[in-house]
Amino acid sequence: MTTTNATRGFGSLNRRSFLKAGGASALAASLLPGLMTGTAKAAYSGTLDMLAWDFQPDTIKSLVGEWTAAGNPAVNVAVIPNLGYTPALQTRLRGGDKIDLFYNFAYNSQKFVNEGWAKTLNGLPGVDDMIADMFESARGRHVNAAGDIISAPYFSAVHMLHYNEKFLADAGLAVPTTLKEIYDASKSLQSTVASPYVAYWVKEFCEEYLHTYLLNEQITAFDDAGQPVFADDPKTVGVFEWWQAMYQEGLAPKSLLTDDPGKLSNEMAQGNAAFYVLHHYFLTSIRSLEGPQSANVKTAPAGPSTLQIGEVLQMGQSDSDDERLATWDLMKYYGWKDTDGKFKVFNQWAKAAGLAAPYAGFFTDPEVVASFPDYYDLALLSDTFATKSNVVPARTLPWYPDFQAKVGDIVHALLLGQATPAKTVEDLTAAAKGAQGGRTL
Amino acid sequence: MAGAADLLGPKADRAFGLKLVAPAMIILIVLLALPTLLTLVYSLHDVPASGSSFGPFVGLENFTIIFSSPVFWRSAQVTLTFSVGFVILSTVIGLAMAMLLNQRFIGRGLARALLIIPWATPWLVIGILWKWFADGSVGGLNAVLMMLGLTSDYHPFLSDPNTALPITVLAAVWRQASFAGILLLAGLQTLPEELNEAAQLDGANWWQRFSNITLPWLRPVLITVTVFNVIYAFLQFDVVFAMTQGGPGDTTQVLSILIYRQLFVNTNIGLGSALAVILGVVALIGGLTIVRLFYRREMH
Repeated sequence: MTTTNATRGFGSLNRRSFLKAGGASALAASLLPGLMTGTAKAAYSGTLDMLAWDFQPDTIKSLVGEWTAAGNPAVNVAVIPNLGYTPALQTRLRGGDKIDLFYNFAYNSQKFVNEGWAKTLNGLPGVDDMIADMFESARGRHVNAAGDIISAPYFSAVHMLHYNEKFLADAGLAVPTTLKEIYDASKSLQSTVASPYVAYWVKEFCEEYLHTYLLNEQITAFDDAGQPVFADDPKTVGVFEWWQAMYQEGLAPKSLLTDDPGKLSNEMAQGNAAFYVLHHYFLTSIRSLEGPQSANVKTAPAGPSTLQIGEVLQMGQSDSDDERLATWDLMKYYGWKDTDGKFKVFNQWAKAAGLAAPYAGFFTDPEVVASFPDYYDLALLSDTFATKSNVVPARTLPWYPDFQAKVGDIVHALLLGQATPAKTVEDLTAAAKGAQGGRTL
Repeated sequence: MAGAADLLGPKADRAFGLKLVAPAMIILIVLLALPTLLTLVYSLHDVPASGSSFGPFVGLENFTIIFSSPVFWRSAQVTLTFSVGFVILSTVIGLAMAMLLNQRFIGRGLARALLIIPWATPWLVIGILWKWFADGSVGGLNAVLMMLGLTSDYHPFLSDPNTALPITVLAAVWRQASFAGILLLAGLQTLPEELNEAAQLDGANWWQRFSNITLPWLRPVLITVTVFNVIYAFLQFDVVFAMTQGGPGDTTQVLSILIYRQLFVNTNIGLGSALAVILGVVALIGGLTIVRLFYRREMH
């Protein structure tokens, strides 16, 4: 589905000017909190349908129940497993299921708009303020190149380096800040831990690491037009050499290609690993395991720049304007703030698992601060969101899911020694161009 | 006893028969023939992800894309390797279990009941169970191998491209062999004891009795079991997906996983449908070949 300028509500505004304007709007919005969130109760009297994946389903229902109890429409919440969520959601939508609000992976969001499964949020009351309230670094995930607002945040996270402070201190090592330093430190720590470095390198997740490692070396993966410019950067081959060496030389365990993140958290908690790169909130799982080394695990930026991820909320097709406005009210509550201007839902996710919101105000909100355990360095986290992370806007382009699905095979071939770093660059470039070109296996 | 059809003649007989099978035929058409037809039609179109229309007709272009892709050929090779291992092991182990459980021994009833457990377990659960069993850090398989002195260190079976496919085959065989065992045991129980006793009196050894009496007797059941195994092998998805999701790399990416990715993840409906058509034809040819081979041998 193509959107017209009229439906966008931004005329010919492009993303650059929109994002720039966002900063000014943020200042204005902060002076007018009532305008940001205050809405008249929706006139819609029916029931809204919401689809979520099964992270704490009781909490989802309780949060939504509170929204309804405040005089808003009833919400029918359906929860389906996280594994296979996208296929299930797409199949339901293809089958004509009408869902007002659904969780989605950011990399699917533009595709869903194009297919007519999701509506843009352009012109909805307060939506510009929501975008303006975000970290500038996060806006590219929710606003496309044409200036359309395609989603609201469900949660956000940054890839961080979890490290064992004691292991490093005992070995007289500083916290590594580059890939090369991680390699050297891992080599040094091999006398303490056989395979010091762990990461969630299963096929489906290799794409996040591709961006994390490229960003660590300050390599731009895709330009504004979505072209794979990483191929032109001579540093890219070095990243793949590093990645292959970490695996081939046993600095990362051989089982990483199929290990799940819970197991890796346990490796850190038990002291079987010294480094673990993944979303910041895995610190919660490492600490809560209460293993012999749990308390020694700290976090640091994974590099000068890292990947900021975030899953999103999208608005489905509504039958009426009233239904759309009611859905938007729910969306604001769930993906931004409640009518009192509080991060009610995000605060709950912070308490539950250390998840974050891509809003600067989130990290300074006293209730949110109290929700995070003491071992979180919120100032560091906030700074990483604000200035040291990148959402890689190409990740929301409509062809991107095709590319995303291919990265795992290519990276695994590299790790297993079946492809050279140079060939990996070629294969990834071909995969990106193939995905942009249309039907490919 | 003269039925209604006898009274009304052969034409009415046919009409009466058609009425009787009509409900089953309608269900079959709706659940089987229509989706098959739709898949065929989709395979000739570039279907939009939304499914709002068939999209532009592209003829055999989807098939051309597939056959010119190394990803397909690699996946076909994995599927063939998986299938050969799965069919041979499921059938042979199933037959061995059936032979064993056909003997008289204390606890035979319990052993027969236990045989049903793997078969009664869903494929997906088998995959999850075996994922943990084969785990490189805490898996029971490593523990057993270490106890037996066959390995000195835990091995990440599922991350190793040399062992990932064999382990997924074993996991699938663990379930399917019990199914084969149950059917073959039922076949063995119909074998008259006198045949074996007479052969034994004539001096036939175990192998001669097995190859000249038991196997020929079981041939019809073996055909059924093997055809089922061939079809299950080509269409296997759950176990492999739960254990490795096709990894590491493309080591265990059987065609059904490739189809799943194209249809449900990438929503390349036309391409995925074309792959499904190819896999369906291959499974059909595989099954028919087995039937033909068995019957040809029987006729000779």
